[in-house]
Amino acid sequence: MKTFQIQCKVEIIRILRNRYFVFWSLVMPIIFYYVFTNLVNSNIPNKSEWQAHYLMSMTVFSVMGSSMMTLGIRLVQERSQGWSTFLRTTPLSNTVYFAAQMVGQSVIHVFSIVIIFIAGALINDVSLTVLEWIMSGLWILLGSLPFLALGTLIGLMKKVETAAGVSNVLYMVLAVSGGLWMPLEVMPKMMQAIAKWLPSYNFGSGAWEIVRGGLPDWKNMMLLIAYLVLFMLLSNYIRRKQEVV
Amino acid sequence: MNEIVTVNNVTKSFQHKKAVDDVSFSISKGEVVAILGPNGAGKTTTISMILGLLKPTSGEVRLFNLLPHEKQVREKIGTMLQEVSVMQGLKVNEILELIRSYYPQPLSIQELIALTGLTPQDLKTRAEKLSGGQKRRLSFALALAGNPELIIFDEPTVGMDITSRKRFWQTVRTLADQGKTIIFSTHYLQEADDAADRILLFKDGAIAADGTPAQIKASITKQSVSFVVDPEKSLEKLYQHSEITDIFRKNNRVYIHTDNTDRILELLFQERIGARDIQIERGKLEEAFEQLTGESKEAI
Ligand SMILES: Nc1ncnc2c1ncn2[C@@H]1O[C@H](COP(=O)(O)OP(=O)(O)O)[C@@H](O)[C@H]1O
Ligand SMILES: [Mg+2]
Repeated sequence: MKTFQIQCKVEIIRILRNRYFVFWSLVMPIIFYYVFTNLVNSNIPNKSEWQAHYLMSMTVFSVMGSSMMTLGIRLVQERSQGWSTFLRTTPLSNTVYFAAQMVGQSVIHVFSIVIIFIAGALINDVSLTVLEWIMSGLWILLGSLPFLALGTLIGLMKKVETAAGVSNVLYMVLAVSGGLWMPLEVMPKMMQAIAKWLPSYNFGSGAWEIVRGGLPDWKNMMLLIAYLVLFMLLSNYIRRKQEVV
Repeated sequence: MNEIVTVNNVTKSFQHKKAVDDVSFSISKGEVVAILGPNGAGKTTTISMILGLLKPTSGEVRLFNLLPHEKQVREKIGTMLQEVSVMQGLKVNEILELIRSYYPQPLSIQELIALTGLTPQDLKTRAEKLSGGQKRRLSFALALAGNPELIIFDEPTVGMDITSRKRFWQTVRTLADQGKTIIFSTHYLQEADDAADRILLFKDGAIAADGTPAQIKASITKQSVSFVVDPEKSLEKLYQHSEITDIFRKNNRVYIHTDNTDRILELLFQERIGARDIQIERGKLEEAFEQLTGESKEAI
């Protein structure tokens, strides 16, 4: 248990010290939020609804990024630099190591969610009910699971450069086509139809529903669970194939 | 039950190549054993199998009479791998605390500092900013963090300066005196001779010799007769004589290895080779080692 705590603590410290994380997952989403709710689109009919909607988009954007990129690239780094090999000679169990990665990453997500929510409240006076804040925060925390699984999938790549490149492109494509940067409604019909099936859209959609006073659609949940299962199966399968040495 | 390590008919093949070929040995408590051999001899592959990082293609490795990957085994071993790696984003003391937390009875940070020569400055440095030498010291400390009974080092002194090297071997002595079992690999005969009480000589994935440094040295140094001869002159006549264990040309001289130098001298005159500047040598150890393990000699 003590090992697990120290391992979690260490993972958290490492993420907070990682400049890419601070930039991509905290600074960028907040800047985007400011720019897109204050400098452009100023003639939107229901301004406060748009401000809450976009706050959710940016929080989802942040958490999705650190699940895929921070986690994925860190895993590849540890393996390609031989650190994982060293760990395999120590008594640290795989389960504890993996669990600590996930818990550490989730603590970081709680932290990001709180910071970005506070930024939203300060920048635009976004005011939601307590229940809405908590519900949307929880949705984003739990909804990150398929993306954490995708992060471990990216973490199986051989080279840091490939992992960084692939996860970056995937991240941007998912964010834009999932309607996190601009609402789906402004996109071509074709794109909208595809987006409905993407994990990023379903992730965002649940949070958008909550701040509009509703509840996430069961379809959002089912699709996210399906993606979680798919990514987990895939990464287990690949890991087993790689282990045949 | 004093056997700490047993390696039984272990073979490891990669796609087309046998890196380790039917190797067997066992190591008892308190031994300091050098795995000596040139690059590519199979040292790292053997060590990886002992550590449970690679699975033998056939055969079996046991540590403390258990399989290498079992937790009880991992708690009793410490290792420094050939490729030193550290965890990014953490300071040296944070990494040490982390790794210590994995073991039931770790050494204190103070003890680790005393053994490895890590400085207070090192402790506060982030891992990614460490110099090569500092990284080595850290990885040495990580190997000792769990107060292991069996310590395994793969080419530990590569990249160390003379002072650190000296310090490293002193610490190894101290650990050996505490009754720890130590295995290290090296491609320097001198190092194996100085630090180990037993040498496993590896060549092409197999054990070419196993014994004390004195025994190994005696078995690999041969007497030789060397001389200068007209390059046109055929040496074929010499080949038929069984006293010659090896004959080769190096730096304009012909060298003949033998157990009986007197007989070779007789032969040289008898066969009228026209040998000049004849010398009889008790083989130099380093040369003999190179000849045994290297392949760069030119056959006649
Ligand atoms: N993963 C691998 N795949 C293919 N060949 C390998 C692999 N690891 C080692 N070898 C080969 O096995 C032989 C022994 O390698 P190694 O054990 O690293 O030698 P040493 O440590 O004595 O220098 C070498 O010829 C090396 O090229
Ligand atoms: Mg090696």
